[in-house]
Amino acid sequence: MFTKDFREIFSAEILSITGGLFAGTLLAFAIGKIELVPGIFILLPGFLEMRGNISGSLSARLSSGLHLGIVKPKIEKNKIVRGNVIASVLLVIIVSAVLGTVAYFANLYFFGVNNISIIFIALFAGIFSNIIEIPITIFTTFWLFRHGHDPNNIMGPYVTTIGDIVSILSLLIAIVII
Amino acid sequence: MKLSKKTWKQISRLKRKQHHHIIRKIHKKHNISYKTLFYMKEYGPKSHVSSVIIRESIKILILASILSSVGGLGLQSIEKNIVAIIPLLILLPALNDMIGDFGTVVSSKFTTMLFLNKISKIWWRDADVKKLFRTVFFIAIISAIYIGVLASVIAGIMGFGINFDLAIKVLHISLLSTIILVSIIFFVSVAGGLWIFKRNEDPNNFLIPITTSIADLGSMIIFAAMVSSML
Repeated sequence: MFTKDFREIFSAEILSITGGLFAGTLLAFAIGKIELVPGIFILLPGFLEMRGNISGSLSARLSSGLHLGIVKPKIEKNKIVRGNVIASVLLVIIVSAVLGTVAYFANLYFFGVNNISIIFIALFAGIFSNIIEIPITIFTTFWLFRHGHDPNNIMGPYVTTIGDIVSILSLLIAIVII
Repeated sequence: MKLSKKTWKQISRLKRKQHHHIIRKIHKKHNISYKTLFYMKEYGPKSHVSSVIIRESIKILILASILSSVGGLGLQSIEKNIVAIIPLLILLPALNDMIGDFGTVVSSKFTTMLFLNKISKIWWRDADVKKLFRTVFFIAIISAIYIGVLASVIAGIMGFGINFDLAIKVLHISLLSTIILVSIIFFVSVAGGLWIFKRNEDPNNFLIPITTSIADLGSMIIFAAMVSSML
């Protein structure tokens, strides 16, 4: 039972769910603020998933480029890195807007609550989380590669863990500001 | 092996089309892996990197967002329970992560088994499939207990009112949701993988987005159903 597969999956899983618990604890701390925003729970799962999807793909594409020698593991002018950053930023803005709009209409249609601020909260939180997570993803991918690790094996759980924490912090900041 | 300018241009100009004959020719002649050629085709000198990424990702991301929002509707409907019972709120992101992770693990491992020709017609009797199921299921149970117990402990430390009965109910919700969802994910990965593989497509390109979306949607809906029925 306790094979290499078991150990690898288990250790990655424990890391991932511990990060998830930390994110949940942040949510619990801010429960007073969350309650004030109708429809926030419609937005929450999609918002948590979005960061993992976009940053996970960013890291995977960079890893492929690093392995192929097309991308160098340092910050310099590179067409592929620049293109990846631009794409990730734009994707987060588009997907945040979609999530906010879906949450707004779902809230209006199913619960009869007209809360337009949910769209701005999604957008603001998306942009804010981008500012933190994209540099972290790029630096960590490069750092792992420089130190002889395969970022593909590590970045998956790492990105979802960091993504959860950053996303929830960004959402809370957006709620406070908006 | 260095490619000539002419060959490089030929690859860069290729439209996104699977199994293009020139890729196979170059792979054979120059002994360059398909993955390398694919990367060159996608992000070569003529391509606009950000446009390629956005064009290829946007549809699946929007679909995933809509599916997650449907799951979010389930959560919103039990908002009062979640807000009143703090361990549930602490549990939620971890449960969501865990089911998504298992979707990725089962899909990628089963796809590798398919490519290695380890899967027979009666797949449920294959030793490798059984071993994968046992491994994932065992880790899922341990993880469910871990998050179920820790969520209550953290809530207790934070000073939210929690008693033994409530902690047991939270543990039940975590365990039952995990058992149901991991079984669904496993079945979808195996059945979907076999179906896609029979059509000569790479299951990796479809299974992971499908299973993670099902995991997200399912985890929210089943979690909401469990909370409604048990609390």
